[in-house]
Amino acid sequence: MNEPILKIENLTHVYSPNTPFEMTALHDVNIEIRKGEILGIIGHTGSGKSTLIQHLNALIKPTSGRILLDGRDINESKSSIKEARSRVGLVFQYPEYQLFEETVYKDIAFGPKNMKLTPEEIDGRVREAAGFVGVEEALLERSPFDLSGGQKRRVAIAGVIAMMPEVLVLDEPMAGLDPGGCEEIMENILAYHDKTGAAVVVVTHSMEEAARRADRMIVLNHGMVAMSGTPEEIFTHGGELRRMGLATPVMTDLADELCKLGVKLPGTVYTVEQMAAALMELERGRAHA
Amino acid sequence: MLKDVTLGQYFPGDTVIHRLDPRTKILMVIIYIAALFNAESWISYGVVLIFLAAAIAISEIRLTAMLKGLKPIVFIVVLTSLLNLFYASGDIIAQWWIFKITREGIKAAILMAARLIMLVMGTFMLTYTTSPIMLTYGLELLLNPLKKIKVPVHELAMMMSMALRLIPTLIEETDKIMSAQKARGAEFDTGNLIQKAKAMLPILVPLFLSSFRRADELATAMEARCYHGGENRTRLNVLKMTRRDMIALILGVLVLAGVIVLARFGL
Repeated sequence: MNEPILKIENLTHVYSPNTPFEMTALHDVNIEIRKGEILGIIGHTGSGKSTLIQHLNALIKPTSGRILLDGRDINESKSSIKEARSRVGLVFQYPEYQLFEETVYKDIAFGPKNMKLTPEEIDGRVREAAGFVGVEEALLERSPFDLSGGQKRRVAIAGVIAMMPEVLVLDEPMAGLDPGGCEEIMENILAYHDKTGAAVVVVTHSMEEAARRADRMIVLNHGMVAMSGTPEEIFTHGGELRRMGLATPVMTDLADELCKLGVKLPGTVYTVEQMAAALMELERGRAHA
Repeated sequence: MLKDVTLGQYFPGDTVIHRLDPRTKILMVIIYIAALFNAESWISYGVVLIFLAAAIAISEIRLTAMLKGLKPIVFIVVLTSLLNLFYASGDIIAQWWIFKITREGIKAAILMAARLIMLVMGTFMLTYTTSPIMLTYGLELLLNPLKKIKVPVHELAMMMSMALRLIPTLIEETDKIMSAQKARGAEFDTGNLIQKAKAMLPILVPLFLSSFRRADELATAMEARCYHGGENRTRLNVLKMTRRDMIALILGVLVLAGVIVLARFGL
């Protein structure tokens, strides 16, 4: 098991405290994000996912509790906040709506420029980031507003990747894209993860995508960590997940239905491949009997 | 942080005041302001104050909400009271250097402060108890006669209600874009004025773009539902003046008349 890079300790966040609109978004949350892992955070709308990730790079301050980056509280000083912003990259929902520069190149360069890197370094970062998300050289001099929706999203993600964060956090990176676009974005993110060894945190309300590649998953419910563990461990609690208003992967549903009919599949199933393997195994077992 | 801004805030409720016709409430506010500006003496101020206090009590709007709304005008109230305090002529009570305080000055200062506070509180009664939609509808109906001289009353009212509807959305959007750019290392509160202005660009460009996109989408959605302006347009809920409204208006006119009469007698 890798050592943790980000540690969230007893994090509680209350919006508009001491007013009639007071609302506790997070309640005593403890999470560790380990070096180089892929962590899926899932939860229903309003479960506190977005509030949680905005704490990770000090965009909002905890009401109580701490966020430790390599053992140092990120809200300690101005310089620690700045450090957290460059080491923890945060991609918001619909990141294409934050594009603003004249060219794709300049937009991707915005982050590295704010990090006060040299022009050569910036150039290298921009080209590398564009490579990760599959944005061709020819597109770099185009206006970001002339691109298609999927391309815009990838440029926006490149803008964060160009800062070379050690933890890349993405809020619903696949929202509103067609299946092909989702696949591509997921591949881009994984390429960055595999090449740099950065930890990746993907926040989503749909299980399928996250489950496929996540090492660990955390389920948030009403601002509290309801479950955490490997996808296998999480999906053995299909019923509980459904009670929290979360859609379980179709294959898990199918396995549960089969179970009700008396067909016991070996192990936990949540992808088509696993389902196929499980059915094959069952069939083989029958042939032997 | 930006979300704390309140603009034309509405506190839903189900009191007599909430249920009054928006036209009645708009007219009442005009009558109330007229009365307030005709009031000159303690007694006439008292009459207007009782009227206001009764309205607040009936509306069940909490006093803290009222006082919170007064915050932005504290400076103006203090300044005008001070000016009134020192620049009135009459019986001198205290004197120091070029400043002199007179009996009339004290009275003028207190009444001026009261007038400003009551003015703002009275108009709050309108916006706190009337939903923006009802407010613009009421305004549209009141301004309807202007259609005769080719004023596009319906279009103006529609634009106003859309603007009111979109303000919170845009505030939220600004908040989101700011966070996103901050996550990319942008800083908005450092450097000199020019640097600060330049730092606004990454917020303004996306904000403008999204406003245009929203406007475009809204226009398409409205056209898809056959919206073509106010011509022959009907309403689901047509406003009707009731007994309630008549009673309220008569009450308002009586207060105004009372204040004017009091002023006649020099009170």
